[in-house]
Amino acid sequence: MTWQDYTHDMQRCTRCSYCKWIPYRYMRNTDFIEGCPAVARYNWHAYAAGGKFNMAYSLLQGRIDIDDTFLDVLYRCQMDGSCDVSCKVQQDIEPLQLMQELRIKCVEEGKLPPPHLMVIHGLRKEDNMMQSLKSDRGKWAEGLDVKDLTVEQAEVVYHAGCRYSFDKELWPVARAGLSLLQKAGVDVGIMGAEEACCGGRAYELGCSGEMEKYAQHQMETFRTAGVKTLVTPCADCYACFKVLYDKIGRELGIEVFHITQYLERLLKEGRLKLTKKVPLTVTYHDPCHLGRLSEPWVHWQGKEIKVEGQMIVHDPPKKFRRGAGGVYETPRNILKSIPGLKLVEMYRIKEYAWCCGAGGGVIDAYPEFAVWTGAERLREAGAVGAEAIVSACPWCKRNFLDAAKETGNDIKVYDLIELVEKAI
Amino acid sequence: MKLAKQEYRALEYIVGKEYITQEPAILDTYNQVWGNQFFFDDKHSTRPSAVVLPASTDEIQAIVRVCNEYGILFKAFSSGFEYLSLALEKEKGILLDLKRMNRVLEIDTKNMRAVVEPYVSVYRLQLEAAKHGLYTGRIGVGYSAGVVAAECCHHGCQHTMVFTSGYGRNVLGVEWVLPTGEVLKMGTGESGGELFSADGPGFSLRGILRGRTGANGGHGIITKASVKLYPWYGPAEWRQSKEPGEPPSRGQLPEVPDGYKVFIPTFANIDDALEAAVEFCHAEILYALSIGMLGTAVPPEGNDEEWAMLQNLEAYPEAGEVSRNSLVLIIGGQSARELQYRQKCVLAITEKWGGRFLPHFNEPEALARSFVDMIWSNGVPALRVTGDFLPSSSSPDGSPDMLKKLAEREAEISRRYEQSGAFYSVRNVKRGISWRPEENLSTGAQGISVALYDPYDPASLEAARRFISELFDPRGKFQRFGVPARGGCLQIESVTHVHQNWGPRYDNYDLWLRKIKKMLDPKAVADWSAYIPPDYPHYPQEGGYVLPSYGKK
Repeated sequence: MTWQDYTHDMQRCTRCSYCKWIPYRYMRNTDFIEGCPAVARYNWHAYAAGGKFNMAYSLLQGRIDIDDTFLDVLYRCQMDGSCDVSCKVQQDIEPLQLMQELRIKCVEEGKLPPPHLMVIHGLRKEDNMMQSLKSDRGKWAEGLDVKDLTVEQAEVVYHAGCRYSFDKELWPVARAGLSLLQKAGVDVGIMGAEEACCGGRAYELGCSGEMEKYAQHQMETFRTAGVKTLVTPCADCYACFKVLYDKIGRELGIEVFHITQYLERLLKEGRLKLTKKVPLTVTYHDPCHLGRLSEPWVHWQGKEIKVEGQMIVHDPPKKFRRGAGGVYETPRNILKSIPGLKLVEMYRIKEYAWCCGAGGGVIDAYPEFAVWTGAERLREAGAVGAEAIVSACPWCKRNFLDAAKETGNDIKVYDLIELVEKAI
Repeated sequence: MKLAKQEYRALEYIVGKEYITQEPAILDTYNQVWGNQFFFDDKHSTRPSAVVLPASTDEIQAIVRVCNEYGILFKAFSSGFEYLSLALEKEKGILLDLKRMNRVLEIDTKNMRAVVEPYVSVYRLQLEAAKHGLYTGRIGVGYSAGVVAAECCHHGCQHTMVFTSGYGRNVLGVEWVLPTGEVLKMGTGESGGELFSADGPGFSLRGILRGRTGANGGHGIITKASVKLYPWYGPAEWRQSKEPGEPPSRGQLPEVPDGYKVFIPTFANIDDALEAAVEFCHAEILYALSIGMLGTAVPPEGNDEEWAMLQNLEAYPEAGEVSRNSLVLIIGGQSARELQYRQKCVLAITEKWGGRFLPHFNEPEALARSFVDMIWSNGVPALRVTGDFLPSSSSPDGSPDMLKKLAEREAEISRRYEQSGAFYSVRNVKRGISWRPEENLSTGAQGISVALYDPYDPASLEAARRFISELFDPRGKFQRFGVPARGGCLQIESVTHVHQNWGPRYDNYDLWLRKIKKMLDPKAVADWSAYIPPDYPHYPQEGGYVLPSYGKK
């Protein structure tokens, strides 16, 4: 699909503005009913998904060009998919896919905000999104007794991802995740310095070719290593391996798990036992890439037809991705099984969760906006009486830590792995 | 048309650099609204010269003064989700996006009123008011619509009007920036008090502010409004939920909340249903009433799922007839005894007119779904079916005879178009008009005839235009009471033939409207695309009948 393939959607966006909010059915506290961070922060309609439809339609008609304003509006967006869920409560149109294709169009025309250009240059040179040296990639695991899959074989590859690999403050989480698997007796290894970026974030920036390249690389690497299963503690990587590779027809051919899914399995099998009390009131933040964006890709080829006079349907019927197929219950099940821990829910959860702020490249190009978005989430966590906010993605944890620091919020920020580790 | 440098700077000085734009990429997100294809043969209406995001009455007043000084047309909006809400009659014009004016300023529980800024949505106020045991009426266009737009500027209809009355009746006082830039505090506000009563001491002007159909921005900008609230018998907070894996559209209340009951009786024919509706209204027991629109079905996930569902209707050809002859009756009460009394009335009147409670309409989950739709609105899922729809709103006097007469005439017209394939129509299902009675039918009712058409199918679009012209009946064949409206606006085109054709039939009301417009807006700077032009353009006529002008910018 190209951006022009969404002409129908551009025409049929009604300007209902539902994309700006969480679905009304789930609104409860009027302080927390906005869904789209970009329009909440910048106000102009252009920042909402509806505005993107409008911009695309004007571009199509030659009324506007891709100029700096266009780029700014398009990239001040976490691509978190909240708009997509709210829109598709009532519509059969694809806001998020259009935004993705618009970004691809920008890149094809050689237009990308400068901070993203630097990140992509770094990726091309060092195989990571953190503008760090490839040779440093495996340092997070130094001292751990773990198989090196470049020279040994194991059933499971533990893919740390770029953020965990290079964000030193988060290394304990990456290490704890691996240790939990080892404690449960999982035959697990890592690629160390040879681990490469999944390419998902690059794809979200519009660099579709980069992701294709990395997909091919990962397929070959895992085949050579002989692994059967991939476990990642990074929600971004998970959504990329699970959904985006499938979208572009590059399935890994091995089982893919987010670590929360794998831990739940280990807990159910009794290979891990949560016995220690963790007396804490926590709230769970659904990472977008583990939640609504991890809904399996639906391949469809067909055409629109009219029935019953003017009703627009698809032949064959098309199943729209409306966010319900994300991973929502698994992390909650784990948290609920931790002794002494009390889980309280925020007002915006699951399909309609507020983004942490880091996604879509915002953390790189617009750090102030990323922090603002994260701070909003911390405010919500505080409003439901949580002592700590728990997520299951290093990008969320990073951004929440930054937001807490910037705003002087003393709420604790955990990854779910850390709480499981405490409970064992 | 770009503003001159000094014009732009004057506006920028008021709101600050961050809150004004003339970037084409952003401006073009302020001229694309559903229905535009119907009016203009184009998704885009006129591109505004600039858009501003004011934060206060002072800023708005200053902006309007600049508009007067430089002859710039202006229009303000909240959600912008309405026909012509962003359309400008001239190329030198600006839009005021009121998103930053977003506060619920007061909920006065003792006097049952709220004071809100323009961007506060109806559903948001409903959530806030419920905490205090209060409620504001549902709005037809859905939950994102603004309270101020609904109450002060616009015409619409909804199922709770039997209890909360029509929008115009709920305005208690406003802060109003006139097209000249003067600030008028209507009602008690004008005399130095709070915005407590719209009718004085001090100027009333409620009729001039909005009348029945609203000036839709043609009279300036309301920056603050005090609106009536009504008792809410439900919980202070509620949760609509769904099972994991179900699409978000499935979120529902598990049951009708305590404090309310819902009944859906079905009658033998439309005559009995309407007679019963009148009697229910005269008993003054209802919290909400719908005639012919039930809201009991599980919300479909999308068109494909809906179509799959509809195919089963082939085995149930009388489905449409059954819905058409059914009523939704919602009652509420502060005590069990009050509720019991109302229930007793409902059952007695239902029995008198031979109503039956069909199980599939009256099972608890179906009733809960209907409650949600009638009390808060399910939004506008109709827009998904074909891409657009035309709700034509006729306003009869509320007598069963008039309701019936219009129901039959309008259903016959709709049917003709549906059968031609120009509109969406479910095979074998005869659809009807749905009604929202006002104030227990003492002041009338609003009937909605809906055309679901595809604005990007030329034949369907053309049929929609013919349909609306026929339904609007500007030659007066139906002899109905009241000027019809298309959805929320009186207008059905940017400079309407309806006023020109209907005015002479109704005491030349249009001349008065134009006089008021000229008096309030001597420099003609408040956009009139959904109101009345200061002067009529010369549109083609046919035997003294002014022809419509759809498809012209």
